[in-house]
Amino acid sequence: MLLTRVFAIGQWNHLSFMVISIALFGFGASGTFLSILDTRRKGWEKRLSTLEPLKIIVLLYSLTVVAAFMVLNKLPLDYFRLPIEPLQAVYLLLSYLILSVPFFLTGSVISIAFAAFYKSAGMVYFFTMSGSALGAIMPLLLIPFFEEGQLVILFALMPLVFLFVPPGKDMEPVNAKGILLMGAALAIAAIGFYIVFADNGRQVKIVPSPYKALSQMLKFPDTNIDRSVSGIRGRIDIVDSPYIRFAPGLSLKYHERLPKQWAVYQDADSPYIIYDIASSEDMEFAKHSLSFAGYMMAPQLSDVLVLQNTGGAAIVYAMAAEAENITLVEPHPELAKIVSESYFVDVVNSNPREFLAQCRQKYSVIHLESLGPSIPGTAALNQEYSLTVNAFINYLSRLQDNGVIIISGKLLLPPANTIRLYAAAYEALQYAGKKKPEDHMAMLRNWDNFTLIISDTPIKDSEPLTHFAQSMNFDLVYLPTLEKKQVNRFNQFEYPYYYEALQSLRDAYLAGTESRFFKQYVLDIAPQWDNRPYPNRFMKWSQLSELYQSTGSRFYGLLLSGEVVVTVVFVEALFVAFFLLGLPIIFISRGKPKPRAHHLVFFLGIGAGFMFTELYFIKQYIFLFGSPTISFTVVLSAIMIFSGIGGFISQKLNQTHLKWALICLSCLFIGFYLGFSIILETLLGLSTVSRYVTAFLILLPVGLLMGIPFSIGMRLLLETPMDRAYAWATNGCASVLTSIASAQVAISQGIPLIIILAAVAYFLALLGFVKVRGS
Amino acid sequence: MNGFLLPGTNTKIFVFTILLSVLFYSGAATSSDSDHYQSEREKMVTEQIEKRGITDQKVLEAMRKTPRHLFVSQALRGRAYGDYPLAIGEGQTISQPYIVALMTESLRLSENDRVLEIGTGSGYQAAVLAEIVDEVYSIEIKEKLYENSLEVLQEAGYGEVKTRLGDGYFGWEEAAPFDAVMITAAVDHIPPPLLSQLKDGGRLILPLGNPFSYQNLTLVTRQGEDYSVKQVTGVLFVPMTGRALQ
Repeated sequence: MLLTRVFAIGQWNHLSFMVISIALFGFGASGTFLSILDTRRKGWEKRLSTLEPLKIIVLLYSLTVVAAFMVLNKLPLDYFRLPIEPLQAVYLLLSYLILSVPFFLTGSVISIAFAAFYKSAGMVYFFTMSGSALGAIMPLLLIPFFEEGQLVILFALMPLVFLFVPPGKDMEPVNAKGILLMGAALAIAAIGFYIVFADNGRQVKIVPSPYKALSQMLKFPDTNIDRSVSGIRGRIDIVDSPYIRFAPGLSLKYHERLPKQWAVYQDADSPYIIYDIASSEDMEFAKHSLSFAGYMMAPQLSDVLVLQNTGGAAIVYAMAAEAENITLVEPHPELAKIVSESYFVDVVNSNPREFLAQCRQKYSVIHLESLGPSIPGTAALNQEYSLTVNAFINYLSRLQDNGVIIISGKLLLPPANTIRLYAAAYEALQYAGKKKPEDHMAMLRNWDNFTLIISDTPIKDSEPLTHFAQSMNFDLVYLPTLEKKQVNRFNQFEYPYYYEALQSLRDAYLAGTESRFFKQYVLDIAPQWDNRPYPNRFMKWSQLSELYQSTGSRFYGLLLSGEVVVTVVFVEALFVAFFLLGLPIIFISRGKPKPRAHHLVFFLGIGAGFMFTELYFIKQYIFLFGSPTISFTVVLSAIMIFSGIGGFISQKLNQTHLKWALICLSCLFIGFYLGFSIILETLLGLSTVSRYVTAFLILLPVGLLMGIPFSIGMRLLLETPMDRAYAWATNGCASVLTSIASAQVAISQGIPLIIILAAVAYFLALLGFVKVRGS
Repeated sequence: MNGFLLPGTNTKIFVFTILLSVLFYSGAATSSDSDHYQSEREKMVTEQIEKRGITDQKVLEAMRKTPRHLFVSQALRGRAYGDYPLAIGEGQTISQPYIVALMTESLRLSENDRVLEIGTGSGYQAAVLAEIVDEVYSIEIKEKLYENSLEVLQEAGYGEVKTRLGDGYFGWEEAAPFDAVMITAAVDHIPPPLLSQLKDGGRLILPLGNPFSYQNLTLVTRQGEDYSVKQVTGVLFVPMTGRALQ
């Protein structure tokens, strides 16, 4: 969990995904290693499960985590230079290897335990899961007090306590080797504490990628980080610099000064600007900005709701428009605090969709500012629920009569986000019963920004907008009635791309051929719903070659696409999985029993099913909590706790129970596929505590049932220590492959399909089980 | 001295002599615009610039005349006419010849125009401009580059170029208005002070976009009180470092 935070700050999600996924193969590799060991030395499980070898493994674990983290934090790995600098491939391989060693050691301890104490497999499972649950919850509690890097080291040192536990009554007393190990543990702990606390934790400070906006800002002279705050919703860095000048969509005709600004960076990117507004003069620039057009369209400005995903200018537009009541919703608690201290507006610390589900108020203007990440493409894997059709339906339902929705964003070429947002708004307007959705929208742009205006009532008089655009030198992109000669005048492209694309889409909607339009377009620009909330993902596999050529035939351009990275990682993972599962078979001598195919199917099935289920809920709960880390923590802790209990209970269950557990899981998951979206919508309307408790308890039956198959399988279906080590390897490989596959499934087919895959995986496990029993 | 010679001595003496000749040759070439450099320039104009679509004869002639090798360090003179930018120290570069030509052509200059350049750097771009127009003003923020460029411009016969040490973000108020302004460093917005110093009909060209990533070469034209913006092509420039907010 901490690694995901570390990589989120240092790199981008999809690139960290690459390293973490492969490193997790360390678990599977431990099973492979022990299976091979079995071919050479029988009775390894007994020898390795004694106190001394376990102490050595624990010692090595702590040492390798500290070493791996320190090396990774200093390694000059630059993903974008991979295609042009062969040395980077060595760095990448090195990161895979060094990060997989701690996972290998942890996996070894668990695998040894299952092999040695297979009769108590349920108990082993219970303790393993309880430990994992603790590992998922503790960072949540400690992250406000320590930085991410410090926590990684501190958690790595925790198992060293095991070396100082006095031996039991029937065990040998501590000997010279034991004392030596304790000495080594103390030395590692001392080094670890030094690294964590020396120089205020500078040694373990996460260094953001040079491509991140914070790294770039810090290159300017007289630029400093005033304060950094780590939290479960991400790290924020408050930066003071004379070079911050943020005024998106500002007219070139505005030559006056801008107010003093400072920037808040979230996970070292996505700057959020705070303006020092002392007088109305400081807000004058807002009246000369693109998005102000939306405020001009609103007949009254009684209540304005501002949602700022990234950016920070929207609040100033609302203030400049002299709105009577302004409410700003900000999910990050620290950022909400900063904003409420900076402006005289109501600031609600909440996830925007949660706020909309719970509020009963109607607004004259809802302004969403969403500029996206500093490098387009890096957010392709990020779930974003404020730009889906469902979100637009929510906005429309909270709009006063004659109210206006304003969406401010960055202009991308070829047109992608602009078309997708138009389509999302169009379909939401259709859903809201508007007869002519195309008459309710307007779009303007300058050279790098656009504003989409969605009106509750048809836009009959577009003269104010046309006049505003003319006077500010903005370009009209879409109006219910707009001629070609009116577009592409001030901010000229060689062709009126945006106008043409939106005209074609509107015509397609009117003709009912929008599906064909989306299919034929070079990018995936179909509107996204809550079941596939990836508004920043535009790549189409069928157009990959064209896309590659249009980005100058540069391979690194493709590395910016999360989807390409996921696929590359999946191919890599397939090779590694074949290697890890094939290797023991090669080592087993002729005539000796080899791992059986039914066992393989059973453990692949439950490994894949478990991981598909976890990822399904993690992705679904992001909708509830508005944060991947919180979702990750809730789901992992709940599933670990409940499946641990399931494992504990399974100690008294038999193979018939196992069969029914698998059947129940498959049926339960089909039920989730059919009705979970309704439950999620309902949960969003609950109070915070009820939402957390209910979300946690929903996982009770799922976790309990999922804890049964692995424990019973280890106890009753397998015969030899090698079988158990190999089953562990199989389970590990299945987990990694499915975690990668589910990312691809979610972005291309939608999140609900993941739970169907979980049902299928458990059904396959059932088939494997039936065959095992039959044989 | 024979003791210092190794087997195959005759060949080595020959190679050594050749190397010495090359060294002397390049040393001699630094002090004047030799036939060698003129032919290099001709090749540069034909192969790098004309072939890519630059047709303005004034620009082509200026590129043929301006001795680019004098604006780079001694060590880089052999590569002065290559199809790439070169380092000039202080973390700055002299632009690729084609980009110099493209930016110059985009400004559609006439002989009587007054041009302001932001970021003198080596002084080469200012010299090219001076081949076309009567009045060139150039501002450099880095003192060392300012001093070097001043010296080179004078030595190369471009003493009429007016240079100044300062922050180009705010332009050259006393010399304004200008027919054209050229920014030769990346900036993420169009500096308003420079827009105000444009004449009616004036043009401003700049690499616009993320200063640490790639940018779009953008041409801004003033028409009365209105401004139009046109994207020319994708480019990569070093960041502009001036106090953008003051």
